Amino acid sequence: MLGASTVYGDKFIDYHSPSRQLHSGVWDLKNIISQHFLLSVPMHIRSSPTSAVNQENRDVFISRWPEKKDPFTQTDLLANKEEQVQELILEIRTSPSICHGEILATRLVTLFYDAKEEDFANLGIVVASLRNFYNFSQSHTDLKCPTISLTPDNNIYASWRVDQKKVFSVLFLPNGDTRFVIFKPNDLHPERQIRISGTTTTDMLKAEVAPHGVWDWISE
Amino acid sequence: MKGDTIPNQHHVARLCDNKHIDGGFIQATAFMLRSGEESLSVNWLEFLNCSSRESEIDELRNTYSRKLKLGAKAKIAVLTVGEVREKALTESPDRRNLKVLHDPQYGTVNDPSHSGIYNLKHDDELIAELILETVQETYPARK
Repeated sequence: MLGASTVYGDKFIDYHSPSRQLHSGVWDLKNIISQHFLLSVPMHIRSSPTSAVNQENRDVFISRWPEKKDPFTQTDLLANKEEQVQELILEIRTSPSICHGEILATRLVTLFYDAKEEDFANLGIVVASLRNFYNFSQSHTDLKCPTISLTPDNNIYASWRVDQKKVFSVLFLPNGDTRFVIFKPNDLHPERQIRISGTTTTDMLKAEVAPHGVWDWISE
Repeated sequence: MKGDTIPNQHHVARLCDNKHIDGGFIQATAFMLRSGEESLSVNWLEFLNCSSRESEIDELRNTYSRKLKLGAKAKIAVLTVGEVREKALTESPDRRNLKVLHDPQYGTVNDPSHSGIYNLKHDDELIAELILETVQETYPARK
C-alpha cells in the first residue's frame, strides 16, 4: 500500500544511491526539493541549487531567490531543521536494524513534499517527532510496515490495521512521548469492539500495549 | 445561519490533504485539529442546494480551489452528521457529544456552506479514528 504513493520518493532514491552519498555527499534533501519544486512551484524555492540542477534551471532559480538580509534568520533555522530531517530519513533508509527502511524513507520523503506543498514556509516534518519515530523503529526490528501520515501539526502518525477490526495507531510527539489508540475485537462479544487509548514514553510503548496482544499482529 | 445545528440526517464533507492520505486511503489524521483550531472544518452539503451528490462535490471543488492549494492526492470525505455524532457518543470513553454547526465564512472567498465539528480536543486520536470509520464516500478533491 505504501508503494503506491512514492512518485517523489522514487526520484529521491534514484538520484542518490548509497555509494554517491558516501563518496560525494550529494545526498541533499534541499537539492532534491529544489529540483522538485523547479518543476512545479518554482516561486517558492528557498534553497540553493547544486550541480545536479542544470544551468538553465539554476539561472531561473537564482533570479527568484529572495535576497538574504540578516546574518541569521528564520530561514537559517528552517534550513537547519530540514537538514536534520534529511539526516534522519537517510538513517532510516540505511539502518540495517530498521524494518522496511527503504519503504519508510520513501514514504517520509513524500510526506515532506506534501507538507511543503501545503505551506512551503513550514518544516515539512517536525524533526523531534521524526527522531522519536526513528528511535522507536530502531528499537523494534520486527515490525510490519505501518501506514504513515502527518498530523495537522506535522507530527508522525503511524497505523497498523489488520482485518479491518484491529487498529493500532501511534502519534510520535516531539517530547519523546507517544499517544496510542488500540481498537480490537472483544473476544467474548465478537460484535463489539474494545477501544483503548493512552500516553506513554516511546521506550515504554511496547510494554504498555503488549498485554493487549498488539505486538502479535504488528510483528512479522 | 451561523451557529445553526446541522440535522443528523444531513451530510458534511471534509477536505483531506495529501499528508493525510497513504496509498490512496484517508488516515485518521485528516480528522484531527490543528493547534489553535476550535473546530474541524467541514462543509454542509445539503446547504448547497444542489440536485445531486456529484454537483455538491463539484461546487466544493470550486470553493476549495479558490481558497486553498489542493494537493494532487487530496480527497473529499463525506460523512453523515448523525453517524459521526452517534459514533462519538456511544464509542468514545467519555461519551463525547459532538456538535456539528453551521459556520459560514465570507471574505476574499465566500464559503457559505462552511461548518464545524465542535467539542473535539487536541489529543483526540481515538475520536479521529472513530470519525474515520464513519466515512461513507470519498472523491478526488481536484477536478
